[in-house]
Amino acid sequence: MALRSVLILSCLLLLGNAAFAQRNVTGTITDLSTDESLPGVNILVQGTTLGTVTNVEGSYTISVPDENSILVISSVGYETVEEKVGNRSTIDVVLSPDLTQLGEVVVTALGVEKQRKSLGYSVSEVKGESLVQAREINLGNALSGRVAGVNVSSAATGPAGSSRVVIRGSSSLGGNNNPLYVVDGVPIDNTQLGAAGMWGGTDSGDGLSSINPDDIAEISVLKGNTAAALYGSRASNGVILITTKKGTARKGIGVEVNSNLVFENIINNFDFQQEYGHGSRGVKPVTQDEALSYGNVSWGDQLDGSDVIQFDGVSRPYSYTGDPYKKFYETGLTFTNTLSLYGGNEDANYRFSASNLDNDAVMPNAGYNRKNFTMNVNGKFGERFTFSAKAQYSIENTENRPRLSDSPGNANFAVGTLPPSIDVTDAQGDPAKLGANAEGVELPISSNIYLTNPYWGAYQFQNSDDRQRMIGSAILRYDFTDWLYLQGRVGLDHYNVRITNLEPYGTAYKTLGGVVEGKRTVQEVNADFLLGVDKQFGSIGLNAFVGGNQMRRFDENMSINGQNFNIPFFSAVSNAANQSPSLTYNQKGINSLYGSVEVNYNEFLYLTVTGRNDWFSTLAPDKNSIFYPSVGGSFVFSEALAMPSWVSFGKVRAAWAQVGGDTDPYNIDLTYSLVGQGHQGAALAGISQENIPNANLQPLSVTETEVGFDLRFFEDRLGVDFAYYDRNTENDIVSASISSTSGYNGVVVNIGEMRNSGIELLVTGQPVVTSNFTWEVVFNMAQNNNEVLQLAEGIEFLSGDQARSQNVFVRHAIGYPYASIWGRRQKTIDGQKVYDADGLPVRSDDIELLGNGVHDFTSGITNSFRYKNFTFSALIDIKTGADLFSGTNLTAYGQGLHKATLEGRETGLTFSGVNENGEATTFNIAPENVQDYYSRLASDITDEFMYDASFAKLRSVQIGYTLPSSLLSNTPFAAASVSFVGRNLLLLWSNVDNTDPESTYSTTNNSQGLEWFGIPQYRTYGFNVNIKF
Amino acid sequence: MKILSYKIASLLLAGLFMVSSCDTDELIELNENPNAATEIDPSYMLANAMLRVSGDRYESWRGILIYSSTMIQHMAALQTYWAGDKYLYNNQYSGALFESAYPNYVKLLGAVLEQTKDDPTKGNVYGIARIMWVLGMSRLTDMYGDIPYSEAGRGFYDNTYSPQYDAQSAIYADMLMQLEQAPSTFDASLNDLGADGVQDIMFGGNMGKWEKFANSLMLRLGMRLIKVDPAMAQEYVTKAIAGGVMENNADIAYIQHTDGPEGINQNGLGQVFLADDIQRLSATFLNMLTNTNDPRLMAFATTNVDGIYKGLPNGYDATTIKVYEGVPADSSVSIELYSTTNPDMVKVSSPMFFQTYAEVEFLLAEAALRGWHSGNAAEHYNNGVTAAMEYLSMYGESTTITAEAIDQYLAENPFSEAAGMEMIGEQYWIATFLNEYESWANWRRTGYPVLTPVSYPGNITNGQIPRRLRYFENEYGSNGDAVNAAIARQGPDEFTTRMWWDVSE
Repeated sequence: MALRSVLILSCLLLLGNAAFAQRNVTGTITDLSTDESLPGVNILVQGTTLGTVTNVEGSYTISVPDENSILVISSVGYETVEEKVGNRSTIDVVLSPDLTQLGEVVVTALGVEKQRKSLGYSVSEVKGESLVQAREINLGNALSGRVAGVNVSSAATGPAGSSRVVIRGSSSLGGNNNPLYVVDGVPIDNTQLGAAGMWGGTDSGDGLSSINPDDIAEISVLKGNTAAALYGSRASNGVILITTKKGTARKGIGVEVNSNLVFENIINNFDFQQEYGHGSRGVKPVTQDEALSYGNVSWGDQLDGSDVIQFDGVSRPYSYTGDPYKKFYETGLTFTNTLSLYGGNEDANYRFSASNLDNDAVMPNAGYNRKNFTMNVNGKFGERFTFSAKAQYSIENTENRPRLSDSPGNANFAVGTLPPSIDVTDAQGDPAKLGANAEGVELPISSNIYLTNPYWGAYQFQNSDDRQRMIGSAILRYDFTDWLYLQGRVGLDHYNVRITNLEPYGTAYKTLGGVVEGKRTVQEVNADFLLGVDKQFGSIGLNAFVGGNQMRRFDENMSINGQNFNIPFFSAVSNAANQSPSLTYNQKGINSLYGSVEVNYNEFLYLTVTGRNDWFSTLAPDKNSIFYPSVGGSFVFSEALAMPSWVSFGKVRAAWAQVGGDTDPYNIDLTYSLVGQGHQGAALAGISQENIPNANLQPLSVTETEVGFDLRFFEDRLGVDFAYYDRNTENDIVSASISSTSGYNGVVVNIGEMRNSGIELLVTGQPVVTSNFTWEVVFNMAQNNNEVLQLAEGIEFLSGDQARSQNVFVRHAIGYPYASIWGRRQKTIDGQKVYDADGLPVRSDDIELLGNGVHDFTSGITNSFRYKNFTFSALIDIKTGADLFSGTNLTAYGQGLHKATLEGRETGLTFSGVNENGEATTFNIAPENVQDYYSRLASDITDEFMYDASFAKLRSVQIGYTLPSSLLSNTPFAAASVSFVGRNLLLLWSNVDNTDPESTYSTTNNSQGLEWFGIPQYRTYGFNVNIKF
Repeated sequence: MKILSYKIASLLLAGLFMVSSCDTDELIELNENPNAATEIDPSYMLANAMLRVSGDRYESWRGILIYSSTMIQHMAALQTYWAGDKYLYNNQYSGALFESAYPNYVKLLGAVLEQTKDDPTKGNVYGIARIMWVLGMSRLTDMYGDIPYSEAGRGFYDNTYSPQYDAQSAIYADMLMQLEQAPSTFDASLNDLGADGVQDIMFGGNMGKWEKFANSLMLRLGMRLIKVDPAMAQEYVTKAIAGGVMENNADIAYIQHTDGPEGINQNGLGQVFLADDIQRLSATFLNMLTNTNDPRLMAFATTNVDGIYKGLPNGYDATTIKVYEGVPADSSVSIELYSTTNPDMVKVSSPMFFQTYAEVEFLLAEAALRGWHSGNAAEHYNNGVTAAMEYLSMYGESTTITAEAIDQYLAENPFSEAAGMEMIGEQYWIATFLNEYESWANWRRTGYPVLTPVSYPGNITNGQIPRRLRYFENEYGSNGDAVNAAIARQGPDEFTTRMWWDVSE
């Protein structure tokens, strides 16, 4: 603020020199993104000392010497514009926000706005505009590469999938490591509604997909614990604050229409062998039974064009049939239209928006539709009451989320393992019922009934989920004086999802079929109050508040599971021979009290102390209370000390905080549940828990120390923001995986200790700034080092998930990073690889560390160029330091599809190694047995399928053109722009064969780094049109 | 203004009060699960445990059918995922019973034992739970050898998260002791099995039958020790007979399954046959029935497409079977050429047999041959054969065998004391069709019937019928020290390693 005041003041002083002006020019300056007039904008005549600022209506009048004068129009937070006067007497200018410049006022915890320079911790912001054009359906994915220290990954599933956003590394071994999302001050639910596991399944999305990017004004990422400390137990993973757009005082109703039309195409990096067809041991099948046996086995003969029988009994040429990916997947399309209306006066403002998103996914027969309606009203009642209310209603319909991972129902698996001699379109069967044979049941492509015909999987399997959601909040604030206020707030997030999941009658592995009908309801209500002071006492400023929050949440899941249809092809649950209902319900609550005191000295030395106490429902009464303190300070030395002129801003900061967390409901007592519907009159019961409950659980604690600096040079044209943090999690509540022979899969205990430390760097620069051309660069990077320090006595690691091959394990092991990947290597004796008597590789005796499933280095580079009314912006997203276990490649080895398996098919394999006694031996494998060698690699030697998952991607591109206001002056349009947008356009760098380094099938913590036949990654490209009236 | 401030301040204080202290009770109540009970009648868990011992599709498919039934040559399949047919290793299938048993019936029975052991009003539940524990555990140890036993299923009570593997010798000693002691708490006057014993889904609260089952199981397990410790075997066989074993088919220990309403009510084997009917009856089994003109042939088997009974040989795949059948390489061998299991025996509502009276009679015949028991071996043998044919009617009409047919069979295949052991072994093998765990264990004990191993490329047993299955692989990760200690004691975790009682002769 001070900076801007100084500028305005100096400009005002300059006004006195305008006496010699030749003629007057007038005009209005407006904001490109909001179409609102901008007061306080500097207008300078280039090369002179003549200047003015716009008034509260955004208009100005300036005297210029002559036609050749150039007006330089600048304002903090906007890109500077130069306009040659010529013979014009009216010059209206639209300023576009400068995305590289940091706002001086930032939204912090509990929605409290603070001056950036006062903060003792790092806060990163993302402007809504950068999310709108090259957009993602799931907001979480849009953050990838944008913010230092925020690591985003998603499941390989398609449009309505979930995202995994982790800030500064995973802080909890057992808990949810996703941040808390707060929309306009109210926490929203971001429950992951279901993920694929080793046995398959679908990604059922999360809470973030309900948010329409068109409604977002700004996202503020509270990365460290100090930043988020006021959220107490909910802050251990950081907080993402989303501020939605509001109306502003203006004349008339503002109307904005945004249309976004993008196409989606899979990125086909698959490079499988095209020389050998279906068959086994070098031999083609000669009967339909054999062809079915070798349904996805490519160990046959060399392709020679001869007629060879296939799975359906038809003989076709034994030759390469073309790329199955191209034939199977479709061009996706997403069309989003948003209409917003906004306006207001000095006392009240409003914004309404309605949006429709229609998606056809690249997976055939899959898609997503979202409708959003939002209303935002702010008003004043008299001098002291202010009121704001907000509601968002969304309807999301998702059709046929693709099955991932294991093969049942997973079309990706079938397409990805098809022998080169089989044309995927031959699996279509009945054109009126794709994937079916003449009897209407699944046309098998293999004798393995679990290998589902891809068309049957895509078209006859059905799942849908329809979610209706209301997110609302109301805030009432009373200002006692200009320095004392009381605020009360109630927020609600309520949604229900209606789920249908059909495995149709006639499915090979479930011939009678089955259907699950379910309804899940989730609600979170927060009520809070805040009493605050904001007062200056001489050179000392005081900003303090106390407050309290009550959170209540429930999650109820009702379903009817109907198996074995009586009447064929009638897919109603009432038609199922076996029906079973189920109801699960869990609820929890947290009560909290908190307070914060910030004092400053002359607005360059700041100290903030906060405290919060949480009481949890999920822990035993004598152990359910915990206090979370934080302290932070900053010193703006550029304002306190004399600086060279090229230093425009300088600040150092330091902070310390403790936050924590609780556990899931019902973890402290052993309980019993009735099972099924009894048996011949007998009641059946079991123990509810799969994990051993523990009444002695205490809240976990996370302690973080953070230091950093923020420097800006050359009138802010170069900025460097650096942070170092060190975060320790103690008493982590984990469900430690234990031997199932104990009767339980795990035990819930306070045992974990984990450390995250790292650095974050944000560099912003404007290498070129001229009237017609600007170039801006934003570079961010973060390195996080994570180490599991301690688990319970005698426990060396916690087990996460496995992939379907059951030879690879995600573990959280002492001395290694969270989610490391373990498996077996080939056994060696004195460094020599060991083979058995048949020459097949022998696996190591022990399960060893093979890699790390989570990237530890994340980085993004955004280059933005503007030439006159054209803009170009590109984000390159870079991640390194993770490994990927690729099930696609493992399966391609086992089934003879991988190019590496060509070696030895004609001549056999000859190599040297040692036998199981360590004696040097030369092994010969006959051509017909080469498949045993590669299959053994696939089944036993996990290490062969570990890849460096580092990558660089051209994540986002937008090329825009803003129509000059002069062109629009005789039209109803106030502003218009059109852009080409693209996402995930290019994989610039990768070390993974065939599949994409990001194609993990799940966003859950425990399956990071596991890949197994998700849908291929796809690129998105299209157009965005924005018109304002 | 000032008054308003006070009003607001007091409102605030009220708010503070509401949010914190007085809400503690309400907070705690939030953590009470409305769908779960904090106490339960142990007989509810006992009935559930019985169904769990009977088995779910998962382990029935993998443990009973894919491995046991094919190794013992009751069934055969061409597919390589039917790993037992070809002595191939599939980690998931091999470990399936282990994987499934502990978190299901071991956990449940552990909880029932814990809740009832010191409660004299639950004597029937306690005694039955001990017998079911032995039945379930004997299956596990006979399949894998040394297993977690004394510390198993007690994670909640003892905080034992990594149960040790007990030596099979210690497990057998304890199991036999449990069977001996179990009936001691039976008391017909107790009401712990519900009205009319409704919670006892096996014997309806008939404690006399439970006592016979305990002794019959003791007879089975005692006889199992014949190779490793004949004296102990004799001790328990004698004790079991003296205590009173099953006397007729009404004493059979089994679960009557139902069509539903849910999976838990159904026969696990029946569930498999709904999903996977690719297996066929083994030629070994079918030939035995055919060669002896056994009337059970028509009960067990369907005819093939040509209307005749024909078994599928073990150890073949879709390609090699053509050589066996002598058909040209460019033709195919249809699976419909081979007989499969009579669908009436493997319905979801079919009974699941734990131990039959016929088995008991065969064990008595063997005891008589060994001179441990004064009865007549031939008589026991004949009783056994008769019972083994008669009890099949429990599957339904199509498996009912007439008295004339039984008499004719016995007349054509008279018991010969000289070949007694082999004849008894063969009959036991036939009588335990579908009780494949027991069939395989008894074959390993007796060596009868004499089976010819298959030799499929890539088999991991050097062409020998496996002597055990490999442990559930997760144990290497979650309980590595314990499983490695077991291996150090028992031998490598391989199919060919012999367990304690399976001494090589």
